[in-house]
Amino acid sequence: MASACARSVALVGLEGRIVEVEADIGAGLPRTVLVGLPDSALYQARDRCKAAVSNSGQEWPISLLTINLSPATLPKAGSHYDVAIVAAILAAQRVFPVDELRRTVLLGELGLDGRLRPVRGILPATLAAQQTGFTRVIVPLRQAGEAELVEGIEVFGVGSITQLVAFLRGVPMPDVEPIDVVGEPADRHANRRLDLADVVGQVEAKWACEVAAAGRHHMLFHGPPGVGKTMLAERVPGLLPDLDVHDALEVSAVHSLAGFNLADQLITRPPYSDPHHSASVASIVGGGQRMAKPGAISCAHKGVLFLDEAPEFQPAVLEALRTPLESGMITLGRSEVHARFPARFQLILAANPCPCGQAATPGGHCQCPPVVVRRYAEKISGPIRDRIDINQAFLPLRKAYLKAALQRAEPSAVVAERVLQARDRQRRRLAGSGWQTNGEVSGSYLRRHLPLPDGLQVVDEAVDRGRLSARGVDKVLRLAWTIADLAAHDVPGRDELAIALAMRRGEQPGAVRLEAVGP
Amino acid sequence: MAATESKKQIGIRGEDLACAELERLGMQVLERNWRCRLGEIDIVAAEAGRTGLTLVFCEVKCRSGLGFGHPLEAITYAKMRTLRQLAALWMREHRRKASSIRLDAIGVVLAPGQEPSVTHVRGVG
Repeated sequence: MASACARSVALVGLEGRIVEVEADIGAGLPRTVLVGLPDSALYQARDRCKAAVSNSGQEWPISLLTINLSPATLPKAGSHYDVAIVAAILAAQRVFPVDELRRTVLLGELGLDGRLRPVRGILPATLAAQQTGFTRVIVPLRQAGEAELVEGIEVFGVGSITQLVAFLRGVPMPDVEPIDVVGEPADRHANRRLDLADVVGQVEAKWACEVAAAGRHHMLFHGPPGVGKTMLAERVPGLLPDLDVHDALEVSAVHSLAGFNLADQLITRPPYSDPHHSASVASIVGGGQRMAKPGAISCAHKGVLFLDEAPEFQPAVLEALRTPLESGMITLGRSEVHARFPARFQLILAANPCPCGQAATPGGHCQCPPVVVRRYAEKISGPIRDRIDINQAFLPLRKAYLKAALQRAEPSAVVAERVLQARDRQRRRLAGSGWQTNGEVSGSYLRRHLPLPDGLQVVDEAVDRGRLSARGVDKVLRLAWTIADLAAHDVPGRDELAIALAMRRGEQPGAVRLEAVGP
Repeated sequence: MAATESKKQIGIRGEDLACAELERLGMQVLERNWRCRLGEIDIVAAEAGRTGLTLVFCEVKCRSGLGFGHPLEAITYAKMRTLRQLAALWMREHRRKASSIRLDAIGVVLAPGQEPSVTHVRGVG
């Protein structure tokens, strides 16, 4: 009898695919059939849409109504197809001209009263629509700001079906009280004013943070409780430069998909994610039954992932970090689709040396038997430790040390400026390679395309003695480059290599470093 | 009881309208309200087509308004299954042969003060 087609977007990871929603009003007893691999949330769209349509003064067809979501082989999940389904049904009844739906993507869930509810993933879905050549996207009113972050596509926010119909008919829209977006604000960490100057002492650790921030190196903090490990880790994002436009869009898209409220602006500060140690593997790497959701590592993409009390995490959680640490990407396989999320995060682990926290601490009285201390340290496995660039030991503060340290407490802004300079040097050097920071550069590129530093024998010696793995050599080289960048040297020298080696191995570089580079 | 009486009357009026609709569509009504122990067939009609005679077994549902939904929505799968069995019984008892049979549904809305609306759906079972 009559049919019409509207379009929406299915999100697989961050990739969006256009889904055609066809509605056909045919002969038969009144019944609504939804076909095309819907999940249960989507199957319930039938009942939601029916109530929403009747409560908006429109008619639900009294005959056999077939709704098809194509491509039929792509599994579809979620509630954001509601608006497209209703639009297709109303267009099939010629409530508004069918042509109005051409080149338009519709997104949004429906309330039973016919108002549009906000959904997650508006930003990546709009991006997908724009990249596929659609010229217009219709979203829930309060999310229009989020969709407008995408350039090159017309955005219309509507509050209800009544408004949608009026808009597509080209008549003035009636007033509707829109439904607000819920969800934690995405920039929840950016507004916390955490300054490096708040941390007393730990000059070496602060310097390690500066190096890590400059080159995006992974760090492991170990030391007794109460020396400032967590405080410092929280302050690392404040040292990082702003995200560029491309990164900001990608980071914002991940956060949109994870259900955060973008509040109409791109995330421009590097994100920070600090999951509790009771976290499950799925919450860290991302998960979900048929359609995966990004986890903490993706929410820390281009930012910092801080795992406090790392040995308390389930071993499986820590081991799951291995591949994303190398590839900057996580692929979650599900029965029908593979979802890929970006996950180029900077890892900071914090650990006590033993359960009581006093082992290997000068002046500390550790109560733990040696085997317990060893077991505790083993919880952070070798492969994970091997991927850490900087091992930073924290020592308890002494009175004299505190006094001296207070005088040189530098504010974050000063350090961030140095980090920015070092990042600029890296960007210029790595231009055209596809990388931006020393921490990401591949080992072969380091050795073949960049000048080798003098005094490599320090590193060779360590390898010969079995104190450094092949991956470790690359890590030391990368660190040395970052240290040189911070000191505005063109090529790392013997000193930088020595410091890098000491930082990698977690020794106290002590006087060597302070003399050579100095904070 | 007055209410029941009125319900019955609505039903009868609805079936009258349904018969009129079937006849308007060129069918011949053979029997109305045929009962057996399994249930009742509202209307049995015959339609002459190019391929021969088609027996049409019709379920009629009548409502006095849309407050509880359209009458067609009240015709369930179970009702149509019963109608199919009844159709077989009717044919056995009447020793009628036909080249094909068809199950139809008719929904009648008798809203007070409005023109009755009759919706005919062919071949639903």
